[in-house]
Amino acid sequence: MPRRIVAASQATTPSTVLTYIVRRLIGAVILLFVVTAVTFSIFFLVPRIAGATSEDLASRYVGKTAGAEQIHEMAQKLGFTDPLYVQYGRFAKGLIVGSEYNTGTAIEQCPAPCLGYSFLKQNPVLPDILGRLPVTISLAAGAALIWVLAGVATGVLSALRRGTIFDRSAMMIALAGVSLPIFFTGMLSLSIFRDGLGWSIGGSFYKPLTEDPLLWFSSLSLPWITLAFLYAAQYARLTRAGMLETMNEDFIRTARAKGLPERTVVVKHGLRSALTPILTIFGLDIGLLLGGAILTETTFSLPGIGQYAVIAVANNDLPQVLGVTLTGAFFIVIANLVVDLMYAVVDPRVRTA
Amino acid sequence: MTPPLEVTDATAATPPEATLAGASKSAIQGRSLGQIAWRRLKRDKVAMAGGLVVIFLVVVAILAPFIIDLLGTNPDFRDYKLVDADTGLPIGGGGGVSGDHLFGVEPGNGRDIFSRVVEGAKISLLIAFVATILSVVIGTVMGIVAGYFGGWVDTLISRLMDIFLAFPLLLFAIALVGVIGSAGFGLDGLTLRIVVIIFIIGFFNWPYIGRIVRGQTLSLREREFVDAARSLGAKPKYVLFKELLPNLVAPILVYSTLLIPTNILFEAALSFLGVGVPPPTATWGGMLSDATRWYQVDPQFMFPPGLAIFVTVLAFNLFGDGLRDALDPRSR
Amino acid sequence: MKKNRVVSVVALGAVAAMGLSACGGGTSSSNNNGGGGTTTPGFGAAVGKVFNPSDTKGGTLRFANSGDWDSLDPADTYYGYSWNFIRNYGRGLVVFKSAPGAEGNKLAPDLAEKLGEPSNDAKTWTYKLRKGIKYEDGTEVKSKDVKYAVLRSLDKTTFPNGPTYLGDFLAVPDGYKGPYSDPNVDAITAIETPDDYTIKFNLKTSFSGFDYFMALPSTIPVPQAKDTGTKYKEHVISTGPYKFETNELGKKFVLTRNEHYDPASDPDTGRKPLADKLQVELNVNADDVDNRLQSGDLDISIEGTGVQAAGQAKVLNDQALKAKADNPVNARTWFTVLNSDVAPLDNIDCRKAVLFAADKTAYQRSYGGATGGDIATSLMPPVIPGQKKIDLYEALTKPEGDVDKAKEALTKCGKPDGFNTVISYRAERPKEKATAEAMQQALGRVGIKLEIKPFPLADYTKLYVGKPDYAKANGIGLIIYGWGADWNDGFGFMQQIVDSRVIRAAGGNTNLGIRLPEVDSTIDEALKETDTAKREALWAKTDELVMQNAAALPGVWSKGLLFRPENLTNVFVAEAFGMYDYTAIGTSRK
Repeated sequence: MPRRIVAASQATTPSTVLTYIVRRLIGAVILLFVVTAVTFSIFFLVPRIAGATSEDLASRYVGKTAGAEQIHEMAQKLGFTDPLYVQYGRFAKGLIVGSEYNTGTAIEQCPAPCLGYSFLKQNPVLPDILGRLPVTISLAAGAALIWVLAGVATGVLSALRRGTIFDRSAMMIALAGVSLPIFFTGMLSLSIFRDGLGWSIGGSFYKPLTEDPLLWFSSLSLPWITLAFLYAAQYARLTRAGMLETMNEDFIRTARAKGLPERTVVVKHGLRSALTPILTIFGLDIGLLLGGAILTETTFSLPGIGQYAVIAVANNDLPQVLGVTLTGAFFIVIANLVVDLMYAVVDPRVRTA
Repeated sequence: MTPPLEVTDATAATPPEATLAGASKSAIQGRSLGQIAWRRLKRDKVAMAGGLVVIFLVVVAILAPFIIDLLGTNPDFRDYKLVDADTGLPIGGGGGVSGDHLFGVEPGNGRDIFSRVVEGAKISLLIAFVATILSVVIGTVMGIVAGYFGGWVDTLISRLMDIFLAFPLLLFAIALVGVIGSAGFGLDGLTLRIVVIIFIIGFFNWPYIGRIVRGQTLSLREREFVDAARSLGAKPKYVLFKELLPNLVAPILVYSTLLIPTNILFEAALSFLGVGVPPPTATWGGMLSDATRWYQVDPQFMFPPGLAIFVTVLAFNLFGDGLRDALDPRSR
Repeated sequence: MKKNRVVSVVALGAVAAMGLSACGGGTSSSNNNGGGGTTTPGFGAAVGKVFNPSDTKGGTLRFANSGDWDSLDPADTYYGYSWNFIRNYGRGLVVFKSAPGAEGNKLAPDLAEKLGEPSNDAKTWTYKLRKGIKYEDGTEVKSKDVKYAVLRSLDKTTFPNGPTYLGDFLAVPDGYKGPYSDPNVDAITAIETPDDYTIKFNLKTSFSGFDYFMALPSTIPVPQAKDTGTKYKEHVISTGPYKFETNELGKKFVLTRNEHYDPASDPDTGRKPLADKLQVELNVNADDVDNRLQSGDLDISIEGTGVQAAGQAKVLNDQALKAKADNPVNARTWFTVLNSDVAPLDNIDCRKAVLFAADKTAYQRSYGGATGGDIATSLMPPVIPGQKKIDLYEALTKPEGDVDKAKEALTKCGKPDGFNTVISYRAERPKEKATAEAMQQALGRVGIKLEIKPFPLADYTKLYVGKPDYAKANGIGLIIYGWGADWNDGFGFMQQIVDSRVIRAAGGNTNLGIRLPEVDSTIDEALKETDTAKREALWAKTDELVMQNAAALPGVWSKGLLFRPENLTNVFVAEAFGMYDYTAIGTSRK
């Protein structure tokens, strides 16, 4: 989130904090709806601009022997012939209160929040996504833990030992890390550990934590490390830059002048200040990752939301694609919201913006 | 993937060397910011190395057809004699490396890997550069307007940036490519796809540049030279483009250079997932995607495209880092 | 009326010795399959005989699918592996026998007491149901359940994926949409149920191969009271040895034993439900399936089409792995249709140019070389009885193509410098992609420039190449495709791909562009012909006509490279499906 240039700080009272929180919450909800509307419109308009008619879209869902009027009937039944705002209205209503879909032989219930109904698979989209969520969360959480610890620690140490061998080599490795595409490092690590050494490692062996903790761990360990390496590299660089800048600030000199032990200076004052931009980025990263770590899941064959997205696109299943895109946007907005709220707690200047 | 490094604040520092440098000459000669930055950059050996590699790659991309003629074989020619009929593996060890095939041949169809890597450079650099330019143009305009005018204009544009940033970009890109399909808008297959990719990458990445430009503009706006121009009666357009813009060139340049490798990785990711530039056109991501089917029995195959991406991205990162350090020494 | 008896000749994989089937003797005796099996691993050990024969029960069989079922509902499925597997949870009137070798191509009565009894004109077929066959909930199967099942399968709006044979042949009223639109099931006289255990089918025209239709999953009974329409696939009520325990759509389903299945009521089919549980994972990455098979984490790759390219390389290069592989023929041909709607492919000489110029070895290599199958010289594969050897375009003598003859043909059709057209393939099929690229290169030698266009597999025939208007409007002249026989005879293989009258404007076609009136009239003759030998000759003639008219470019007569993990017991290839038989296989893993 951009740091807003604010007027002189005002006295912060609990009501200011509360107002801020409420305002941000409302902002997030509005943002979500705007994103939903835009996404929906794009998926609605683009095929039509490219030349498809509602009948073309509906013809996927009818049998082989269907004639033109049957296709037209289906198009109407599925709502494809309605104008954009009507279709979006229906979708938005579904998000809030749920909706029903007439599939021809039955009325399908799609409980709120209804992210859409896949006519191809004949079931609502949300349960599928929710079913795959644990995998993506496991991947993101595990990797995040590793990369935050490793990345920040490396960055801090590098900053403190600026110019030393440690700093230089760490930064070189970090630079390599941000320059490698994860699908390459993924294949490389699979090649070494799974094919070369013969370990039963890698996403194809995935079992949920509740079912088989050992397999859960072994199937995720390689993706965790590979993914974390990528992000740790970035965070190391960021933290180092942030630390260097902070350590030059006046208040650090003051702290030192006060005679505080170096450790306190670094951790309590320096790190805390340097971490705020890191926090923003972390929020964004987690948000993006939860929305579907597509590349990692594809490379390691993890059955998460990212893989779901790829399958949905391959099958041209528009409701699924729409649903998963919205899920991704949802996580990003929520992550940003959380980060903003944490900012409000940590940095009073922000609240009056 | 997160955006390139944030700029934390925007003051264009007046470097102390300007005063010192002239001390050894008879007349005190001030140095422009650009000259000073250039000198600092030259001293950064690693960054210069990166820069040289970048230039080398650009040259390779431009001269691709000649290089392929000289050193490789037709990148689309499938030489089935070079791979085993039943297993598809390149005949002879080492992945089929030979005088004709410097990097070996692709398993399954015997295509020359070297030429395909060179071809891939063309596509990757083309898409990355054009998309970056698109992002920079949109981002700069939006950023300046938002930063300078403030008020509701700023709020509007900032909200717009929030919306764009809320889109899961990769997800959205693959979805959009799937939706657009293979024909439409009056263009055909390959061209259409390239245009769509450039559009998506460029159009959705503008907030990264936009935010930075906005931040810079906000601080520059309060500086004296702007006040001076305004008090002289200069119109906003003049101030924007004649006073502010030149001072924004430095950060824009830096962040563009750092945006290019992100875009290269993004294009590679799209090709890897199968929604990038369609086969049989050679792309690095596409070759890696093919490699996923073969790497268990022919691991050499993944190295040429993987390393090509790595070296390219690394070079741009090194150079961009160096550029940023040259323009703003405190982060070193 | 002589009944249809199928005898098929099975071509071989590289090393496999052709086993004599059904040792242990002659007649109806079924589940006892003693002799002829081996326990020494070897390449092709499960082709034509039982590998690791066993009667031991227990364990869980772990299957994986790289995609998803079209549907578990018997009315809505068209995949060979699905028809193979469905015999575990459904019993139709007749079914393909679970036996190795040629026996596996024969039909055996399942719900019915014996094969159908035709009327004199083969327009009415009568079956008698066995008594006392129960669903998983204990209720008895009655003939009206079979009638209901068949009628609901005619509803192509609710169940668009299933085969259309029954709708084409049964004497139902025109425009009949199935029992959901027209609940008065009793009024449909095309199927009669004079009593609870008798069922009669009335056809529009005579058809002596009707028993094959009764082997389709559509005859698996569905209790009307428990029919939930599109939701039925979430829990199909089983009549077979297994029933559904869990079903996570798109992810996994598990079957356990059906206590109400009585083996005594099932003497003829050869089923051997050895495992206690059947577990099927869906949407597993294809290369991962191969990895997990080899690491022992999976038992069977359910699609039965064989390992991927990397897997093939690994298996063939490693003697130990090769001994655990089988290379059975499946009654499938990979081929490319020349769409006569698209100029200049409406001209026979231009089509002949394509066939001469095509590089047949490259086509074969795209499918994995000799392991992937033999170079096809015509559409009909040798497993189909009566197949004639036809090689009009030197596929065997000049397998890399004959550039000179191609150029001659081009000159004859008025395009001496070649022409441009589009070649399409299914985006998710790497072998088809390789074929498209190979053809682009081969045809480029004579000036025929191909633009390659992939389309998503799911909509390939529905929306794109299978829709005549779309194909024509987009100039799709060459369409890469493949077709496996619905059952191993001329009708089961050829009819759906060469009969021009099955081409529908609405799309979803399996005939992608062959429109030859001579072929259509030959088909009509074959349908009426009751003498087996004469009928087979007529079908062979359709094959010859297709080749004479250069309507299609045959590619490969397919074989699969199947991997057989060590823990599998009682493994054999089901000839009718070209993959392991999923109703008699077991596991030694507990």
